[in-house]
Amino acid sequence: MTSAPRTGRTRAATIRVDGVTKTYGRVTAVDDVSFAVDAGETVGLFGPNGAGKTTLLRMLAGLVRPTTGTISLGGSALTPDDHTIYRTIGVVTHESMLYEDLTARENLRFHAALHDLDDAARRCESVLETVNLAGRASRRPAEFSHGLRKRLSLARALLHRPEVLLLDEPYTGLDQRSVADLAAVLDTFDDRTVVLTTHDLDRGFDRCDRALVVDRGRLETDVDLDGSSAAAFEAAYHTAIGVDDGEEGR
Amino acid sequence: MRRFLATVYRIVRKDLLLESRTKSVTTTMAVFALLVVLAFAFSFVKTFRNPAVLGRGALWIAFVFGGTLGVTKTAALENRNGALDGMLLAPVDRSAVYLGKVASTSLFVFAVNVVTLGATTVLLGYAPTLRTVVALLGVVAVAAVGFAAVGVVVATLTVRSGLDELALPLLLVPLVVPVLLAGVELTAALTTGARTGTWLRLLCLYSGILLLAGLATFEFVVEE
Repeated sequence: MTSAPRTGRTRAATIRVDGVTKTYGRVTAVDDVSFAVDAGETVGLFGPNGAGKTTLLRMLAGLVRPTTGTISLGGSALTPDDHTIYRTIGVVTHESMLYEDLTARENLRFHAALHDLDDAARRCESVLETVNLAGRASRRPAEFSHGLRKRLSLARALLHRPEVLLLDEPYTGLDQRSVADLAAVLDTFDDRTVVLTTHDLDRGFDRCDRALVVDRGRLETDVDLDGSSAAAFEAAYHTAIGVDDGEEGR
Repeated sequence: MRRFLATVYRIVRKDLLLESRTKSVTTTMAVFALLVVLAFAFSFVKTFRNPAVLGRGALWIAFVFGGTLGVTKTAALENRNGALDGMLLAPVDRSAVYLGKVASTSLFVFAVNVVTLGATTVLLGYAPTLRTVVALLGVVAVAAVGFAAVGVVVATLTVRSGLDELALPLLLVPLVVPVLLAGVELTAALTTGARTGTWLRLLCLYSGILLLAGLATFEFVVEE
């Protein structure tokens, strides 16, 4: 079940995490985690609440500096000082990163301007179409449901055509229809490298090629989901976090 | 450099657009500043006969406390929905993000103090000459930059670290005391025609130091 990182994908962007630890005072949020993600791969970070998934994802995004260890993207070390790396990363977190009093279009145009996109106006309309929000482009996020905000947030992350997408709990708080809409959008960029965090085993299993199970800051297991059954994955997950099936948490 | 300045401009433009819609920062600051002037008017106008002293006192107290409210509001705006993270995830120099926030906050502080100056004239009888008003606005502009330079850093720090809003004035006000002193002394000197050189140099130098310190520390303040 446990697999080595796969190689041989065609695209250049590859994430490599080497011995990364993050401590906040006496609390160790992420503890000596190492893994690699090949280009074009979709990897899920699974684990219970407080496992360190979000901290790990925020470190991949360069928003959190590791206490020790290194993260590289496409062979280049990722540091918050190197802002050019953000041309290749798109990030969606549980916060929308949007301004409530700008319209959807104005929010996207602002971010497109920060990314210095040549075709900013056209690109904004294009991603609004992609996430099915073209008809609501003149409305403000304050008027949007959680699902619509999530889609607009995804549009913001896709604006600059990133090679790597980092998604923090993309399904949380979404109803069935919004999940289906989001899944349809994610299906359109199968060629990108995606790292997502989730504690939704079923949806994560459907979406990911590989699962990294994190618990109490440590990487417990690395599961290749290709050819694995959902039941086998679920069993491996529960073994990794040390609870009986269906009894997550302690 | 052109891209750096373009980023600063885009952030200022975004903040002005947001403020033109919500008016939340300037309204909060202006109401507080006018309350200070009003309190001075009710408390001192009949017993204290020197409007120039009253006027400069009210102006600079309103500047500090109104400005503190202003930077709190602007930091909260960027913290809402993790909007600041959105800017940090763009391929832009974080110093440009900082300068953009300083520029827009300075504009808000300056605009509110123009209103406050008008209120001191109407309510306290403080009547500087046109030449003094122009010079005074220049002083307020420099002081606003110095105040915003440290205010953006401290407000961002308190908001992102989860410190209570109470911590903001405790951290901010001691750091802006030299700005306040220079502002008061320069206002007095401009009104009486005394020499302004020393205080003006102090204000410009200290504001410049605050700006450089902010540029050096903002990266660490926004980082987790």
